[in-house]
Amino acid sequence: MAKQYGFWIEIDRCVECYACEVACKAEHNVDLGIKWRRVTNVWSGSFPNVTFKTISLSCMHCEKPACEAVCPTGAIKKQPDTGAVTVDQTKCIGCHYCFFACPFGVPQYGKSGAMEKCNLCVERLAKGQEPKCVSTCPGNALHFGTMEELSKMAQEKAAKKLAASTQPSVIVSK
Amino acid sequence: MTDLRMTRRTFLKATGALGTVAAVGVGGRRLLQSQPLAKALAAQAEEVKIIPTYCHGCAATAVNCAVLVHVKDGKMVRIEGNPDAGNNWGVGSTSLCAKAHTAVQYEYSPNRILYPMKRTGAKGEGKFVRITWEEAMSTIVSKLKEAKEKYGPESYCHLVSEFYPPRDQVARRFLNLYGTPNYCECCLCHGPRYLAATVTIGFCSESTDDWNNSKLIVNWGSNCENSAVNQGQPHALLNAIANGVKYVDIRPMMDPLASKADQWIPIRPGTDCALALAILNVIIGEGLYDADFVRDWCYGFDRLAEHVKQYTPEWAAPITGIPADVIANLAREMATTKPMVIKTGNGVGDQQRDGTSAMAAICLIEAITGNLDVPGGNYAGDNMPSMIPLRNFMVETLLDRLPSDAYDKLLAPSYPRFLQKMPQVISPVGFHTPQSASYKVLEAVLTGKPYTPRVISAQQTSVLSQLRNPKMVSEALKKVDFFFVMDQYWSPAVDYADIVLPACSLYEHGHNSFFLGVKNRPDGTWIGMRNKVVEPMGESRSDWEFWLDLGARMGFAADMWGGDIERFMQEQLEPAGIKLEDLRNSPRGIFVKRTEPLPPREYRRYAQLFKNLPHGKVQCYNELIGGKPDADETGTLPYMPEYKGPPEGIAQTPDLAKEYPLIFSDVHAYRLDQHSSYTGLPYLRELQPYPWVKINPETAKKYGIGNGEWMKVESPHGWVKMVAEYFEGIPPDVLMSKRGWWQKCDELGLPGYSCLDGGSEVNVLYNGDREKFDKCSCQMAKQTLVRISKL
Repeated sequence: MAKQYGFWIEIDRCVECYACEVACKAEHNVDLGIKWRRVTNVWSGSFPNVTFKTISLSCMHCEKPACEAVCPTGAIKKQPDTGAVTVDQTKCIGCHYCFFACPFGVPQYGKSGAMEKCNLCVERLAKGQEPKCVSTCPGNALHFGTMEELSKMAQEKAAKKLAASTQPSVIVSK
Repeated sequence: MTDLRMTRRTFLKATGALGTVAAVGVGGRRLLQSQPLAKALAAQAEEVKIIPTYCHGCAATAVNCAVLVHVKDGKMVRIEGNPDAGNNWGVGSTSLCAKAHTAVQYEYSPNRILYPMKRTGAKGEGKFVRITWEEAMSTIVSKLKEAKEKYGPESYCHLVSEFYPPRDQVARRFLNLYGTPNYCECCLCHGPRYLAATVTIGFCSESTDDWNNSKLIVNWGSNCENSAVNQGQPHALLNAIANGVKYVDIRPMMDPLASKADQWIPIRPGTDCALALAILNVIIGEGLYDADFVRDWCYGFDRLAEHVKQYTPEWAAPITGIPADVIANLAREMATTKPMVIKTGNGVGDQQRDGTSAMAAICLIEAITGNLDVPGGNYAGDNMPSMIPLRNFMVETLLDRLPSDAYDKLLAPSYPRFLQKMPQVISPVGFHTPQSASYKVLEAVLTGKPYTPRVISAQQTSVLSQLRNPKMVSEALKKVDFFFVMDQYWSPAVDYADIVLPACSLYEHGHNSFFLGVKNRPDGTWIGMRNKVVEPMGESRSDWEFWLDLGARMGFAADMWGGDIERFMQEQLEPAGIKLEDLRNSPRGIFVKRTEPLPPREYRRYAQLFKNLPHGKVQCYNELIGGKPDADETGTLPYMPEYKGPPEGIAQTPDLAKEYPLIFSDVHAYRLDQHSSYTGLPYLRELQPYPWVKINPETAKKYGIGNGEWMKVESPHGWVKMVAEYFEGIPPDVLMSKRGWWQKCDELGLPGYSCLDGGSEVNVLYNGDREKFDKCSCQMAKQTLVRISKL
């Protein structure tokens, strides 16, 4: 099988700084109101016994992308060499099927009406660079690599791969 | 452990299950280097020019990350970290913060000031007409000459934001040549903390070098994930936590790093001095101090022991909002867990009525527990070999050109005059030339005491969104004879200016003073050029250029490099044997390898660290400042830390609290803006569209205020409108907000808000009585009481 690249987010190193989210928008000139990557807090408890965890998520680049399966025009493609799930906006008709199919609510629709989302920075990967969100992370919380590499790294931290029938290529761990 | 099932709903709700999935386990972790990938994709590579320079994100401060700016067809398109420079965690780091990535929006913002302007309407009305640089400069020159002749040179006061060394050094040089001591600082940041530490323990270390040897790290008021997320400290702290250090976080609000703490201690804003004194009380009272260190290296310990007897945990509990047993246990833990380091930041010492005492008391906790300059303690930093020789590292300010009575002519000393007269003996920071406090200088415009400022200038500083009592500030700006501003953005204070000058962004000129950005590393020194990335917008000029030009026009050409910026820069590089040309031709910077080896890490360098302190010892009883005149010269400074507390508070002013029951304060810095600026940048504003105030949901509901609803916040001094942000990580009787909502954002259709009553500027809420400021550092307290209602 070809390589599957993905992300590993170490949530105990994420300091909710939004660098990844803003860097992503700047890198891809993303419309206001649209987010390819999203930083969110998950709170538990109430004052004074309270805490939160911050997580940064984008497209899961699933091994079996539900969006690709339902796309009527073939605009969504899983790239054979990287495993990136990408969308050809010229083919997209804005039908929103992918939005309803995606278990994670990833697909978004900007001014053009065509679906857009994280493309794993394929243009940077081609230059041997990491995705912009990963390269900018001040806490060094966000990592990029093949799922094998990431699993190996995450195993040391007893990580758990996100489980879903679509097999997301994202690991979330402490 | 259960499987984490991600569903659409959990993703959209940001995965409530995440709290349960996280397994305990500390593992090695390493940045994964990117792999070369399929060549087929390489065809997408863009035609861009990559220009190394420094980030503008923290514009007015000494914090500059080295960056690579991508330029296409003469326009900036994106920015990334320069891995050669050694940013954040070191060589190879390409990390940058959120602000950095809005560089393009900053550069091309519709809110930029593009041309010199002169006022045509009333002061504050906002009516201006475009003029030439020639007219602007000759007007300024004639006003400066007139003021000097009629009222003396000290009648000219220059306002700056704190710590912008390169520009300020050139500005200071000009002021010294002109003859005025009134370089005016905002008294908000860093300086007081630094001063209190240096006069107490002889040094103020920000070193993270030894954190991995620590057993306990106490973050006391350090907001580093907000103020400098890419400057190494958060990263180092995360490493230490992964390494198993115990981490305690003392801050009013649960900020991101506090959420990772073993213990978060929500302290009432501005009461740190009470907590520190109570901790000293327990440590000394229970005999938990390091007796050997105290005997050998502390001066006046017995007096301190007697002094702190009054400050029991039971006394501090109602002041700080922290239960007495929590205080006592914290004190015991800090004394017995060794090594321990207290990481302080702008949340403590700055903007508190007793900030100098608070910081001094914290330093004494570290000292008497034996944690100064020990492995894993408050380590004073590596003995680095000296940098490659640049001319004095900083620009010479020609202090000797000031008249000999300059210190006596200071209008409103921001630090006590006697300290200012001891240049660089105590602290390398802050005393290169005399300095006044901006707030008091503006007050003097209205009172004429001790004399009246006649010409005021402001450079990249928004006094209406920075100083307490904006109403007073606006009255002063209306009254002053002549006021000129040089800035990139039209802040509300600019409406009061007679002349407005457009300033370049840092991407529009290659003007360095080589103070910033030079990275002194164990293996050598990296020095990079601030390169010009794009052409200046409109007719904007660099701040450096302005001072050189003004100097030349005022007749100081010989001392201002003939007005030639190239000469100015080359002169600084000469001692290092580097030519400006060489640096320009080395786009990745020049690395000068260390010839001598790095000295081995040393600890317990007490004789050296305390050498400037009386008796060569830690000042438990401070003979350096105690009994000497305070900054206002209306009283004397204490020998030992004294609690004063916020000007208004539940414990401090109980009668007032009946009418205004909630404590209000604001964060020193926030990660999505640069102090009062940047709410005009779309990618940042969309993350915080409205002037927020963090409020415990329980409190908000009591007042019928929903999440995201506008509310009125009213103090005894003024009122503002803000939007409630439900926040569980804050005590029910405390509200926290941030200053600076004056910038509009056209791209999002969002307005800017007034800095006066009824707007959203938190400064209108605070007490502007200078008697309620810190008497050593002129820090303006930022704590008050408020009542709230739904709008």
